[in-house]
Order: sequence, then structure tokens, then C-alpha cells
Amino acid sequence: MRETIKRTEEAVRTENLTKIYQGRTVLKDLNLSVKTGTVFGLLGANGAGKSTTIECILGTKQADRGTALVLGHDAKKDRRALFEKVGVQFQEGDYQPEIRVSELCGETACLYERPADWRKLCERFGIGDKIKNTVKSLSGGERQRLFIVLALIPDPQLVFLDELTTGLDARTRRTVWKILEELKGEGLTIFLTSHFMDEVEVLCDEICILKKGEAAFYGTVEQAKAQSGCERLEDAYLKFADEEVVA
Amino acid sequence: MRTFFSLLKTELKLNIRNMNMVIFAVIMPAVVLVILGFIYQAKPAFPGAGYTFLEQSMSAVCAISICAGGLMGLPLVVAGYRERKILKRFRVTPISPVMLLGVEFAIYVLYAAVSMALVFPIGAVWWGVRLPGSPAAFLGSWLLTLVSTLSIGMMVGGIAKNEKMASVIACLLYFPMLVFSGATLPFEVMPETMQKLVALFPLTQGIQLMKAASLGIHTESVWMPAAVMGTVTILCTGVAVKCFKWE
Repeated sequence: MRETIKRTEEAVRTENLTKIYQGRTVLKDLNLSVKTGTVFGLLGANGAGKSTTIECILGTKQADRGTALVLGHDAKKDRRALFEKVGVQFQEGDYQPEIRVSELCGETACLYERPADWRKLCERFGIGDKIKNTVKSLSGGERQRLFIVLALIPDPQLVFLDELTTGLDARTRRTVWKILEELKGEGLTIFLTSHFMDEVEVLCDEICILKKGEAAFYGTVEQAKAQSGCERLEDAYLKFADEEVVA
Repeated sequence: MRTFFSLLKTELKLNIRNMNMVIFAVIMPAVVLVILGFIYQAKPAFPGAGYTFLEQSMSAVCAISICAGGLMGLPLVVAGYRERKILKRFRVTPISPVMLLGVEFAIYVLYAAVSMALVFPIGAVWWGVRLPGSPAAFLGSWLLTLVSTLSIGMMVGGIAKNEKMASVIACLLYFPMLVFSGATLPFEVMPETMQKLVALFPLTQGIQLMKAASLGIHTESVWMPAAVMGTVTILCTGVAVKCFKWE
């Protein structure tokens, strides 16, 4: 019998999470706390350490120092029980050559004890008419939505979405936001990374801006604006992330 | 079990769609048998022998499929999944390495079984091939050969860094074993020194055991090849599961 994952106040908690690659510190003493039922956004330039953070939390990369708890569990130790209730969309998702959408969804669903109905999820994300197609024949945006569907198939309590809406057009992004807000209303905790500040402003309860592997800001969107003295989140972000504003 | 069969169904479909194994593990053994059939017809294996040359070759023909699946198909699929980060996606689901390897293992067992179910009727209908020895003993030694060869493949696939590495190791194992273990070139036509040399391959042991069982030849050393193959199976399966690499 697998250990059941109980609801916790904190969906994700990291303490002094540190990762070093070949002598270079890519993540330094990161302390995060994501409350259950909220949307958390991890922001930062390419190479700031967003994906590394997610991978250290999920246990697919070994942190050099510090701890990470997911739903109160160490993802490395309780891997099989934990991932019954945690969905993940990696930045570079790949799939078997020649596999169809229905096969990829079915193959994912069969791994879980109580999966969500993947057909309904595909409908909801607007790829319901594509399930007979091969995954490689989908457009970039459709494939991106399919990988969000895959992350939601476990019917998770917590979902990690790395670069959620990269490659989606404006309208589809809005649709995805709406669905994610609905899911949040149903109690889902969302941990996302994004490069789009409009998206972050709409979705995220709390954000953390990473700069060279360190937290440059941690708090709500409003706090970010207030602290930076900027009216727009994008300006605040650039200030914290220390990227030059090109006029 | 539900997970196992759902995965098996999808993975088998993908494997058949790929066609490689249909050609190397099902069509090729049949072609080799037909060629041998046309050359040797129903000639006895040697003057005064109680069985035909073709009957003597059936074990080797069956081994072609085992060899293709275990030393080429299985390691390349698993290593390819690792390289394409498909295993990384599986890693953040509840699936165990044992389940994954078990499904791939089962696929190549099916290929070998289909191939055997094809070559015996072909041989029987056109060239009167019978199984003068014990069918049960033949099946047992076939199974042992199959399992030990597939376990070598699992080990290579389980730990090879990428598809290229697996492919190099697979070639180093596959071609010498295929050509010299008696699977394509009949063991009997090789010079004696060569026979002694190739007797070191585990597949040679398997084929000799299958041959003795199918022809009803009394062999003194049944336990020796059985022990060799059993040890290989336990060792390789153990390494494949214990040292399994997701990335």
C-alpha cells in the first residue's frame, strides 16, 4: 500500500537550497514557501536558475546543500507516492517518435491510481479534435497545451509548469490563464516560471525574482512594484533582475 | 497489472510502427530459414543422422530473433528514451524502473515468441521439420536463452549514457554473437578451433542447449550452460534495476 499524501499548509518549502555546477554556484541559499491553494511565480532571466530550482525541488537534480519539501515530503525519498499527487511540465518536454496524442495521454494516465479524464482536459485546452494526430504533427502551441494537459492528468494537488505559455498566441494564453484560475479555485497549487509579466500579474499570488541564482525579490506583485518604485511589474522586474531597459 | 498492460499495449504499438524489430526479429529469421530450406531441403544433418540439417538449425533460427531483440532492440529503445528525456518525464510520475524495464522486456519476449511460432510451421510444411526431442525441454532452454539475452540488453539499456553509447555496445555484442554463436552461420560448419572460441558466448551455450533439447541428443553438460545463463540473467537484471539511470 502506498503512503497517502495528506494536505499540508505548505505545498513547497525550500531551505537554503544550493546547487553548484562545476565550481559555479547556480543556486544560492534559496528559501521558498508556497502556500497550498496559491499560485507561485519564479521569475528571472534565462540562466538565472529557474529550471534548476524546480529540478532540485523535484529531486531530478541533487542539491548540493539545503532541503526541499514537496507536500511535506522529500521528492527523492518518497518519489512514487508523491508523484501520484504532483504534476510536472518540464521546459523541454519530449515524447516517443510517432506517438499519437491519445496514446501519450493514455500512457500517462495509466501510471496513476486515480487519473483525471484526459479527454475532457484535451477538450478544455482546445486540442480535443487533435487526439488522433501524432504529437509531432501538432503546432508548437498545441504541443505546449498538450504538455500542460499531461501535467494535469494525475489530478494533482500541486502542479509545476516550467515556461507555461511560451509559444502560445495571445488568445490561447488568455484561455490557459482562465483555466488555471479555475483550477486554482478548485484548490490546485501552481508553481510556475514565466517570462511574461502580464501573465504573472494576472495569475501569481506571490513571486520570487531570481538573479544569478539568488533571490533578488520575494513577495507579492504589489510589494514588488512598491519596493522598486515602478508602476508596471515589468519595470520592477527589470530593476530587480538588473536587466538593462532598452528604450 | 493494469498499468503494465496499458503501457505494454502502447509501447508495443509504437514498436511495431517503428518496423525495425518486425524486420530484424520476425522477418529475418523466417528468411534465413527459407534460405537454409532451399539449400539443404530434407537432407540429414550428416550421413546416418536421425534428424535433418534443417531440424538441427531450428534452434539457431529461433536465436536470431532473441539476439535482435535483446542485443539491439531493447538497449536502443531504453537508451533512446533516456537521451530524448522521455525517462525524465517518467521520473516525475509514480512508475518504477522495474515496471518500465518489465514492459520493454515483455515486448521482446513477444517478438521472439511470434518468430518461433512462424518458423516452425514454415519448416514443417515445406521441409517436414519435426521436433524429435522434448518440446518441453526445448521450450525451457529457449526461455532461458531468451531471458538471459534480454537481461544483457536491459543492463546495457539501463545504464548506457545515450543512444550512441548503447548502439556501440549493442553492435559489439550483437554482430559477433549473431554471426558466430551459430545463429546465422551453423555451428557445425565452423572449423574446430573456431567452435572452441565461440563457445565462450552465452548465446552459443543457449543455442547448443536448445539444439540438444530439440533433437533429443543426450548432453552431459546441461547444467553448465544453464548455470552460465542463469548467472548472467541474475547479474544483468540486478545491475539494470540497481543502477538504472533516468537521465
